[in-house]
Amino acid sequence: MEKKDLVIRIAGEGGEGIISTGDFIAAACARAGLEVYTFKTFPAEIKGGYAMYQVRASSETLYNQGDTFDVFCAFNGEAYELNKHLLKPGTAFVYDYPGGDFEPEIPEGVHAYPIPMSKTAKGLKQYRAKNMVAMGAMSVLFNINEETLIRVLTDKFTSKGEEVLRLNLEAFELGKKMAAEQSKTDTYRVADAQEPKDVIIISGNDAVGLGAVIGKLDFFSAYPITPATEVAKYVSTHLPKCGGVLVQAEDEIASLAQVLGASYAGKKSMTATSGPGLALMSELLGMSTMSETPALVVDVQRGGPSTGLPTKHEQSDLFLAIHGGHGDSPRVVMSVEDVKDCIDMTVDALNIAEEYQTPVVLLSDGSLAFSTQTIPRPDPASYTIVDRRKWDGQGEFKRYLFTDDNISPMADPGTPGAMHIATGLEHSETGAPNYGPVAHEANHRKRFNKIAPLVDKYKPTEIDGDPDEEADVGIITWGSTIGVAREAIARMREEGIKVKGFYPKLLYPMPVKQYEDFAAKCKKILVPEVNFQGQLSHFIRAETSIKPIPYTICGGLPFTPIMMIEKTKELL
Amino acid sequence: MSVAAFNQVEMKPKDYKSEVPTTWCPGCGHFGILNGTYKALSELGVDPTKFVNISGIGCSSRMPYFVNSYKMHTLHGRAGAVATGTAVARPDLAVCVSGGDGDGFSIGGGHMPHMARKNVNMTYILMDNGIYGLTKGQYSPTSRPEMKAYTTPYGGPEEPMNPLLYMLTYGATYVAQAFAGKPNICAELIKGAMEHNGFAYVNIFSQCPTFNKIDTIQHYRDLVEEVPEGHDASDLGAAMELARRPGGKAPMGLLYKANKPTLRENLDKIIEKVGGHADYDINQIIARSKP
Repeated sequence: MEKKDLVIRIAGEGGEGIISTGDFIAAACARAGLEVYTFKTFPAEIKGGYAMYQVRASSETLYNQGDTFDVFCAFNGEAYELNKHLLKPGTAFVYDYPGGDFEPEIPEGVHAYPIPMSKTAKGLKQYRAKNMVAMGAMSVLFNINEETLIRVLTDKFTSKGEEVLRLNLEAFELGKKMAAEQSKTDTYRVADAQEPKDVIIISGNDAVGLGAVIGKLDFFSAYPITPATEVAKYVSTHLPKCGGVLVQAEDEIASLAQVLGASYAGKKSMTATSGPGLALMSELLGMSTMSETPALVVDVQRGGPSTGLPTKHEQSDLFLAIHGGHGDSPRVVMSVEDVKDCIDMTVDALNIAEEYQTPVVLLSDGSLAFSTQTIPRPDPASYTIVDRRKWDGQGEFKRYLFTDDNISPMADPGTPGAMHIATGLEHSETGAPNYGPVAHEANHRKRFNKIAPLVDKYKPTEIDGDPDEEADVGIITWGSTIGVAREAIARMREEGIKVKGFYPKLLYPMPVKQYEDFAAKCKKILVPEVNFQGQLSHFIRAETSIKPIPYTICGGLPFTPIMMIEKTKELL
Repeated sequence: MSVAAFNQVEMKPKDYKSEVPTTWCPGCGHFGILNGTYKALSELGVDPTKFVNISGIGCSSRMPYFVNSYKMHTLHGRAGAVATGTAVARPDLAVCVSGGDGDGFSIGGGHMPHMARKNVNMTYILMDNGIYGLTKGQYSPTSRPEMKAYTTPYGGPEEPMNPLLYMLTYGATYVAQAFAGKPNICAELIKGAMEHNGFAYVNIFSQCPTFNKIDTIQHYRDLVEEVPEGHDASDLGAAMELARRPGGKAPMGLLYKANKPTLRENLDKIIEKVGGHADYDINQIIARSKP
């Protein structure tokens, strides 16, 4: 069977142009009309350290970064050492030789392509062009569309001056020439150029920022934290164009505090952080709940606890997102599956925060944060934008008025006749302190009940497969692991295995009936997630009658489809 | 503060009083500060619908309940950060924080430098009674070591901080000090703070007759000394020298005032630079992500 996709992994020392090489190849493939899904890891250090960029390109839709690579390009010895166990018979191996800092042993069956990257770059007195040599070689070896690649390079380097462009193109040509001299022994090739599609290529973090702009955000405040910081970078670049403001706060506590202050003042407001920041914000999340002040917190999860794995992928903030904080403090918790969701669900989350006057925690993760994907170009006009319910000016204004749907009208400061206090104290309908048992219970009911309808109103949880069909295994998962499950399930179905998927995007309030209806058609329920405890499994056990089988990994990397396929087969 | 909220109404000081009864102990200095605030609001003709009074936690932080305006009662230590969001998001509003010494300088100490250096356009009234009143009398960052408090039965192990030096150091553009026993001076300095375009800090000594038995009204009366005539409030060095309490006396009056762009003004310059407006075509932003 002809392989439809190709996975190229490039690795080396941070600063050697690993990331830009990956970006160039990804952009060239996307320009050539292919689907692209990239994945990268980089060290927590500023300079040096191991950096890896993986590009998966296909003529068909991609949902994840792939199982492993087909082609590995090593820029240095460390990259080789860290990946040599993955050089299996059939993989292609492009490496810096002669003249590099290592002499690899080529395992039996591996297609080896030594390319003197360092030496060539030195010959050009342009050491930084090492990656251009590698790219030229790979374009020849693996059919990466040369025309688009050169266009991408030209776009990138033109601003740096003619001489820089000329030298880089020369290095690229030399790389091509060296590869052409090699005898091609593998069959890998990137799919031929397709009819160009109307797509964009964007990372998860940038997509959150774009969602914020599309969602008509007014105010953003955040404190830098990996892997969430690019959200602030994107927003700081583009929000001012739309008249919005961004403040870099002194810490995460201040950032959510500022968000609440701006939101009280009538502005659509959000922050973005990662686990340690969310932990610091938990008291203010309660304040948002109690004072019914809309707020969006995007949590780009990383490995914890404590400083944990600051640059690594994990999905382990679910407990914190749903239950973090003191008292009974309901909030809406949602999670994104892919880059497109990062746009769409940021808009949804802003809308829900406004409509329900509640904090919303939107969970992304370290894998999605830097992963770039090709997605259809979004049309801003196609999104619905929701604003908070405003007081109609009739009768006495009561900020915390009990209503049929538990949502009270709001009045922005400046509105005559509606002066009120927004408060973190338990209160009466007017906002006056009231610690009585009747008020506390009634308000708890109000705060929980107002978001409860979301289980039916927010888009229903997707079932991957025929909802009515019986399955041997049902896979329930969340976040970017969904993309892995999609491919694993599709591949298993091709083998005739009866397996289905269930992909919740709304994690709290929990759509219990949808979970149970799905599970009723499955003999076993497998819940893969990237955390140690099986956090979603825990909520499933606690909230539903389902007995899930947790499948957890927590090594700082996402699942691959093959892992999920093997685990599922064990259950059959 | 925002001038847009000024000269909008003709209201007497008592008209700014809310219907919520005060909860402070008899003899509490905070009454003087509250009255000074009413007076300042009245003299400026502040439209109460455009006035947002924000507080954290503590006796001082009950203040907004007693003022007829928009208001937020937030978390311990966070009022300044919340108010920063309000002031930046809505430059048409007049924003004021009412807080205590523990609220501002202990739990909230991380926020104080940044409101000052960012020059957030708001007034911060710190009601300094040298004690945690609402939790029944523990020592605070401004307590004197001589004080035997709930958690310092043998006296305090720490030196008190100097709020004025702190705020001057971090770049507050209006720094004043008053004493609750002189409501007219309080009113005058609060009024000046509200009129100031930028971050205005007013430290007000406020006796706590219930728990702070050494910083009595008489102690403060003896402690304070009006800022000497001829003091140049544009001279940061002179202000710092006064704040160091030469001769053991605490200065009362305006120590420092400077004109600098506010945070929002600087943000507006960025918006202006990029030609920002609410109807900007987002498709142009999206186009930047084309491969």
